[in-house]
Amino acid sequence: MSGSQSDLDFCAREPIHVPGAIQPHGSLLVLDPAGLDVLWASANFKAITGRTPLELFPSVEAALRAWRASGAHAYRARLQNPEVDMAAHAHQGRAIVEFERSAPFLPNALLSRLTGFAQQMTATEELTDGLSATARLIADLTGFDRALVYRFDTDWNGHVVAEAGNGTLPSYLDLRFPAADIPAQARNLYTLNRIRLIPDANYTPVPLTAFGEECDAGAIDMTFTQLRSVSPVHLEYMRNMGTLSSMSISVMVDGKLWGLLSCHSRNAHHVTSDIREACDFVVQSLAMRISADSRAETAALGVELARVHTKLLAAMAQADRWDEGLAGTPGALLELTRADGAAVLSQNSFLPVGEAPEEHQVRSLVARLSQQDAATDSYITDSIVSEFPHDGGFNDGTCGVLALRISEVEDSWLVWFRQEVVKTVTWGGDPHKVVRESGRIHPRKSFEAWREMVRGKSAPWHPAEIAAARDLRASIVEIVLKKAEQLARLAADLQKSNRELEAFSYSISHDLRAPFRHIVGFSQLLTEREKNLGERSRHYLQMISDSALAAGDLVDDLLTFSHLGRAALSADKVDMNKLVAEVRRGLAEETAGRTIVWQVDDLPAATGDATLLRQVWYNLIDNAVKYTRLREEAHIEISAVLTDQGILYRIADNGVGFDMAYKSKLFGVFQRLQRSEDFEGTGIGLALIKRIVERHGGSVDAIGTVDEGACFTFSLPALPEE
Amino acid sequence: MPELRPILLVEDNPRDLELTLTALEKCQIANDIVVARDGAEALDFLYLSGSHAARDPGDPAVVLLDLKLPKVDGLEVLEKVKRDENLRHVPVVMLTSSREEQDLVKSYQLGVNAFVVKPVEFNQFFKAIQDLGVFWALLNEPPPKLRQVGGD
Repeated sequence: MSGSQSDLDFCAREPIHVPGAIQPHGSLLVLDPAGLDVLWASANFKAITGRTPLELFPSVEAALRAWRASGAHAYRARLQNPEVDMAAHAHQGRAIVEFERSAPFLPNALLSRLTGFAQQMTATEELTDGLSATARLIADLTGFDRALVYRFDTDWNGHVVAEAGNGTLPSYLDLRFPAADIPAQARNLYTLNRIRLIPDANYTPVPLTAFGEECDAGAIDMTFTQLRSVSPVHLEYMRNMGTLSSMSISVMVDGKLWGLLSCHSRNAHHVTSDIREACDFVVQSLAMRISADSRAETAALGVELARVHTKLLAAMAQADRWDEGLAGTPGALLELTRADGAAVLSQNSFLPVGEAPEEHQVRSLVARLSQQDAATDSYITDSIVSEFPHDGGFNDGTCGVLALRISEVEDSWLVWFRQEVVKTVTWGGDPHKVVRESGRIHPRKSFEAWREMVRGKSAPWHPAEIAAARDLRASIVEIVLKKAEQLARLAADLQKSNRELEAFSYSISHDLRAPFRHIVGFSQLLTEREKNLGERSRHYLQMISDSALAAGDLVDDLLTFSHLGRAALSADKVDMNKLVAEVRRGLAEETAGRTIVWQVDDLPAATGDATLLRQVWYNLIDNAVKYTRLREEAHIEISAVLTDQGILYRIADNGVGFDMAYKSKLFGVFQRLQRSEDFEGTGIGLALIKRIVERHGGSVDAIGTVDEGACFTFSLPALPEE
Repeated sequence: MPELRPILLVEDNPRDLELTLTALEKCQIANDIVVARDGAEALDFLYLSGSHAARDPGDPAVVLLDLKLPKVDGLEVLEKVKRDENLRHVPVVMLTSSREEQDLVKSYQLGVNAFVVKPVEFNQFFKAIQDLGVFWALLNEPPPKLRQVGGD
């Protein structure tokens, strides 16, 4: 451990809350609250109040009873005789009562000053203006030579962000002070007790005199007193700074120590308790403004990030894979955390976005994170180098890392990166140097400004950005899970229906064809055997035989359909004009005696399986003929257009059409939109077309209007260039 | 002149049976036709066991075998015959409704001599049966040596 570290520890260990003495500008009583017995009194009691504790006690008693009746933790009163201000608080089973000489009543001007300040704090747009106004007002109210607004960073280094003064003391504006200047236990006191005043650094501490049986005044916890005697180290620090008096008021924002209002004068300077109270009010007003600003900023950022989040969600929902969806929307992905780069990685994929380190570097980082803590699901730093000093740094300037584990099973991570921000920081003295003198630690004697380049750090991740990143992870997990569930269900359904279909078509193949064969066979045998059958009987037998044959064909069609998924396709150049002409000839029987106006354009050739494409045309034209049967004059148009995707063939009719509401059922197997007594059919035709066309790499579509007609289209890929 | 050996027709469906017998009759084939109504009975005949234990010895000229059969199905019968040293020379013709490619492939893997999908149209069916009967029952003679081994 370095020497400077142990020196700092010395300061941090000093028990400053139990000094056993007070500053001389007031006096103090410690009472047993039950019997109101005096346990201790400061040695200067009479000097401040003009009475001994026992002499004063009757005047105090009434106030103390009023306090007890109020049940409050602390109590203030102004006594008339003698004229002293009294402040009492309860702590660790005792009542501690402090007295200061009363100052004249506050000037009337103060109230209007405070009102003006409150208005300014509400109206001013920039927080920096509010900070300056606060420093100005505090300097004016207290009469200190200089008032600073001192802000803590996340490492408790201080930064002077506003200043007001009369020029007596040097300007500290924009200087930084190392965290060790105000050690942890002092910060803790500042959190609990907002105001400290040291009117004269050269004061002589006033001991406490015991009145009761307990003698050790060091046992009295003075955390909440105003007169607490301060650490000699601090007094030395003040003398080194050339300031003999100081006052500080804590700026508490949402329960946390945000900073200090720190006032100094070259010479001794006293501020009455009334003024101190007014200053406290001023500083708390500032704290409210800071809190409101930070909430507003977080809220605005939240709204903006929610918008980005939505954008990413949409991208993920559209993509097949969530990681591709994210990487495919790089702008939004980086905007979500204001990062310079990002990477989405899993065991077998790595998708970098923006300024991301090399894959092997990112992989070794997440491997190390998993190694450190197998259950870890996030890692956030603005300085990867300081977290992994030996080999953890990236060589591309990446310093900030926000890594979230998406899935433990797939070991997938979403990682954002921020580049280094090199900034120049001006310190009030070299923060890395401790000055020693005669073997004792002195606070830094030299306050020359010391500049330092801060390297290896990115801008810190804002809590709203971290929250947005976590929200995104929650969404991803939800999407991933949902998709996995959907897929699993789909796969199970598919397997089941495939098995059913296999069994079904196998059974058709064997059992359904046989009865038709029997019908045909026996009617044939009957025809041959009965030579004397009349013409009509023979006709009937023929009809029986024909119907059975047709049914047999249907079974064969169905089998063709179910085999289509497996059978290989031939890919020949197919003359579609010829196919359409053949099909029309084949339908001559059905069209006989009807008025059908055909308009058949010249059709471009296609590539594919001629037998199957003939089936497509047959089913489409057969449908058009069938469903225009009720029209006195049927119109059937067949045409084709070349599109970017290929060739689009089209057949339109003025038949019974269909309701678009049922369009989704149109191309399903055994789906019929017409009653079978109105229009015969097997319910396979369009399903067969769809399957054939899709096997050719095309698609089918249809539009229809009930009682007006239907239009079917199917596309096929364009012919390869010859 | 070889003795006229019987044709073993294995068919469970009575209507198919009647149609097939009619078709064979029309071919004027002189061979006896032995009918087995399931796979087990067909094996009894081939192995002279069960209800066929007391039959005259000798293998059939041809087995016309339906694919889907009760008890023991056609593919199992085919497999038994073709795995048996003494029976594998007996021609087996699958006579079936099935158009399933898997059945066809399996049958040929097992060593079927012919695979005939029964056509729905009667005249085609008739023609197919006639061709089979003439080819396998009359023309296709088994190798004489094997005949001696399996015969006595």
